[in-house]
Amino acid sequence: MVPTLFGVTLLTFLIIKMAPGDPLQLQLSQTGAQGESQNTREAYLLQRRQWKLDKPTLLNFNWFSDFADEARLAAAFRGMTEGDLSAELGRMASLGDAEDERLEFLRGLGIERFDARLREADRRALFTRVVATAIQLRVESLSDHGIPPLVALLRQRADLKLRIGAIRALNDIMLGDPFVYTYSMEPLPEETEGVVSTWAIWWKREEANFRSLDPARAAEVEKRFRALVDEPSRGRILEGMASFARTDAPFFASRLLAEGSSLKERYVASLALRSHLGRPLRVDVRLEESADAVEAVASNWIAFYEARKRVYEPGLPARLWYLLTDTQYANSVGKLVTFSFGKSMVKPYDPVGQKIWTAAKVSIPLMFMVEVFIYLFAVPAGIACAVRRGKFADRAISVTLFFLYSMPSFVAAMLFLTFFCYGRFLKWFPMFGLHSENADKLSFIPWLLDYGWHAFLPVICLSIFSLAGIAMYSRTSMLDVVTQDYIRTARAKGLRERTVILKHALRNGLIPVLTLFSNFLPALLGGQVIIEYLFGIPGMGRLSLESILAKDYNTLMALIYIDAIIVLGSILLTDLLYVVVDPRISFAKAGGGA
Amino acid sequence: MAGEAYVDIVWKQFKKHRLAFRMVWAIAAMFLVAIFAPLVASNQPFWFREEGKLLFPWIVALLNPETAVDFLFNAALLAFFPWAAATAFFDARWRRAGVPGRSRAGRAALLFLALVAVTAANALWMRPSNRYFTRDFKEDQHRGKGSGAYTLIAYGPLEQDLDMIFKPPLSRREAPATRHRGGDLHVLGTDDAGRDVFVRLLYGTRISMTIGVVAVSLYVSIGILVGAVAGYFGGKVDILISRVVEIVLLFPTFFLILTLVALLGPSIYIIMVVIGVTGWPTISRLIRGEFLRQRSIDYVAAARGLGAGNARVMFRHVLPNALGPAFVAIPFGISGAVVTEAGLSVLGFGVRPPAPSWGSILNLAVNNYHHWWFTVFAGISIFFTVWVFNLVGNGLRDAMDPRLKGTQ
Repeated sequence: MVPTLFGVTLLTFLIIKMAPGDPLQLQLSQTGAQGESQNTREAYLLQRRQWKLDKPTLLNFNWFSDFADEARLAAAFRGMTEGDLSAELGRMASLGDAEDERLEFLRGLGIERFDARLREADRRALFTRVVATAIQLRVESLSDHGIPPLVALLRQRADLKLRIGAIRALNDIMLGDPFVYTYSMEPLPEETEGVVSTWAIWWKREEANFRSLDPARAAEVEKRFRALVDEPSRGRILEGMASFARTDAPFFASRLLAEGSSLKERYVASLALRSHLGRPLRVDVRLEESADAVEAVASNWIAFYEARKRVYEPGLPARLWYLLTDTQYANSVGKLVTFSFGKSMVKPYDPVGQKIWTAAKVSIPLMFMVEVFIYLFAVPAGIACAVRRGKFADRAISVTLFFLYSMPSFVAAMLFLTFFCYGRFLKWFPMFGLHSENADKLSFIPWLLDYGWHAFLPVICLSIFSLAGIAMYSRTSMLDVVTQDYIRTARAKGLRERTVILKHALRNGLIPVLTLFSNFLPALLGGQVIIEYLFGIPGMGRLSLESILAKDYNTLMALIYIDAIIVLGSILLTDLLYVVVDPRISFAKAGGGA
Repeated sequence: MAGEAYVDIVWKQFKKHRLAFRMVWAIAAMFLVAIFAPLVASNQPFWFREEGKLLFPWIVALLNPETAVDFLFNAALLAFFPWAAATAFFDARWRRAGVPGRSRAGRAALLFLALVAVTAANALWMRPSNRYFTRDFKEDQHRGKGSGAYTLIAYGPLEQDLDMIFKPPLSRREAPATRHRGGDLHVLGTDDAGRDVFVRLLYGTRISMTIGVVAVSLYVSIGILVGAVAGYFGGKVDILISRVVEIVLLFPTFFLILTLVALLGPSIYIIMVVIGVTGWPTISRLIRGEFLRQRSIDYVAAARGLGAGNARVMFRHVLPNALGPAFVAIPFGISGAVVTEAGLSVLGFGVRPPAPSWGSILNLAVNNYHHWWFTVFAGISIFFTVWVFNLVGNGLRDAMDPRLKGTQ
């Protein structure tokens, strides 16, 4: 069971890995930075990090590698203006075969036809942009591993350009401001560490520039602060911020940084600081920034790194743990096994679980009806044939069943839609959905009738293949049974034919038919995709098709996985049913067996 | 050899199953339709006379098909008559020499394959340029620029006629009255670009048969190989392989295929490969079972005692006796592949649109139910194919079932 489950996760993962499309890489092979705007790119990158798609697949050795050289080279390039970079490329083009560290770095970026394009002097401007994008992508892909060496560069007081480059590279990796100034809409205790460390850095530097409050003002602020801490409405708290001033900062800093403050106190204090001071810690620089400004920004980064050192330089046990767990596969297994599929990858980013549940609420009743329909008709048909073996009824039913068996469900659906729904011929059944437009206003019985009217054709289309298959199978299986000696004995005892068939033959004849339940389920779940699409039913099949079309791999992965789990569950169920139906079979290890 | 006798018994049993046996001819007919499609319907005339010149556009088009699939079938078309003549000649000789019927059939099949290969290679070698590709001979004839001899139906599978969009069955072109003599009837109507539905169905046979045969041979080969290894070696290998098979079988096949095709990009090759790669577990399970049963029979020990290696025992001795179930699965597999291709097309992931596949005709009908002829005729084609192959499969299964020996 457990190995099978892991196999299922592995296969699901492999399927999704096959998805093409690093849009960033695609962009690189084309013209350069024109494709998508910076904003979409950042959103995409955030998404990617969330899904750990930037991590190695199975084992993460990055925690044991040294990225110092790479970080230094990347910083050197990030510190160049476009003109500098173009000149640098010109220098490299004239190098010939000579060894050059920077040239090797650029070669390693995976730019198509790098060497040929490097030599085309007349198209250098375009190529420069391509290279610049590639460098940025490389820096981004360093992710957390790039931070320690880059901060080390800032510490070494290397030359100004290199430090500017390092700061820009740090910004690339962080995708924006690394400092957390206040809590999110719903404050969480986990956020405290980030907020406190940010303001602690600022306060340590700025403490000297603020005078402490005079007692009257302090009392006033204290009173208002208390009121806001007790205020439940977020809107009121935000409004209350207007009654404070920039000069009140020492009060809030002390409240925020105090050891025993509550979450709410910290929340209000950080909000006050944020609304009157903005984002006081500068983290980005322009390319032609003065040495002093760079120094200030660098010190911010160093302070930030000091506060988070644990995260970026974990100890050996942590690294060994990350070797196995900080990977794409571990991440997806974790998600799949705990059924926490996260959020959908397309707007509006609904939780996958919720999406699937909404769809499942449509599909499950449908599937249930299909199963009932199948067994309601298949088993009696099989028995009827077996009893009248070779007679006209047997032949007629068998031929019909064989026709049904050969009729693809979607062809049947499309024929029904053409002739019974569309209206050119007949308009007996609705074309779309499972409910009429005003179905929610109906009382229960009409609602049920309406539902049945809508579901009738989809259920038939979904059933025919399995129905015919199971009926044919139960015919053979019953035929096997009715020719056996004990049936003859039963007849010889003078039992009525009805009793012989229903009491003696049926129970044995039914056993093989039961297993088919799980055999036909994969076909049923697959057929669902087309039938739900054709009839416009918003169930799981439709959802799978939609997520394929929208490239919502997260939902897709969850759906494939859930379908496999359903089949696995049904196999288990049939095994259990076996025991109920056939007393010869038991799961007891000793003496049982069959 | 015991294996041969077994096959003969199965064949005899199978012949008794009359309907199924007739369906073998239906399958043969289907392949003939696929091969001879250009002889029945083409927009290029066999010959065209203009200003004292005689052109042969049909054969030029035949040698310059759009796709590899068409190329193969065109080669088969060219090779067919030489093959028929050669077979008629040799068969009489073989018969006199007392070669049994099954071997004669096998030799004829091999000869056909060889001839197709030679023709294909030859056609590749001396491929004439596709100089009439854009020329509309029918239009030229209509304008009195020459005259030619056309096929029975003078429409090509990709030929568009924007005056004749969505025409119902049995409609004719009206103005300009007739662009050519005869063959202007759209028997089964036209599609969204005025292409003849019947001609497309005819050519669609090629795509369906190709997908069916290639995909199934792919997965049957994989399944045989994997199943043979699992069943023959048993033990840990068997456990491992059986687990993998078990896991793959948990996934809804169509959904899996759909996902993979969507991820890899739809094309006829991808579809064939994906069906091939996802279909093997059932076959391997059957073969494994047979191998497990056969490997403890004395002849295996005898073969090993004679010094045969594992591979030789597996494939020369055991495999012929274990092939039965896989053989039964072939016709069912082909019908399944045809259905899968059509299903993918309905969802828009099938063979790319201008290519004439049955699925793409069905795809036109989705949300377009007013034009009933797409659904009906493409649906009937698919249904009939599936039915025929299923019948043959059923017949084979019954023929191989020892319990039914002597019945019917």
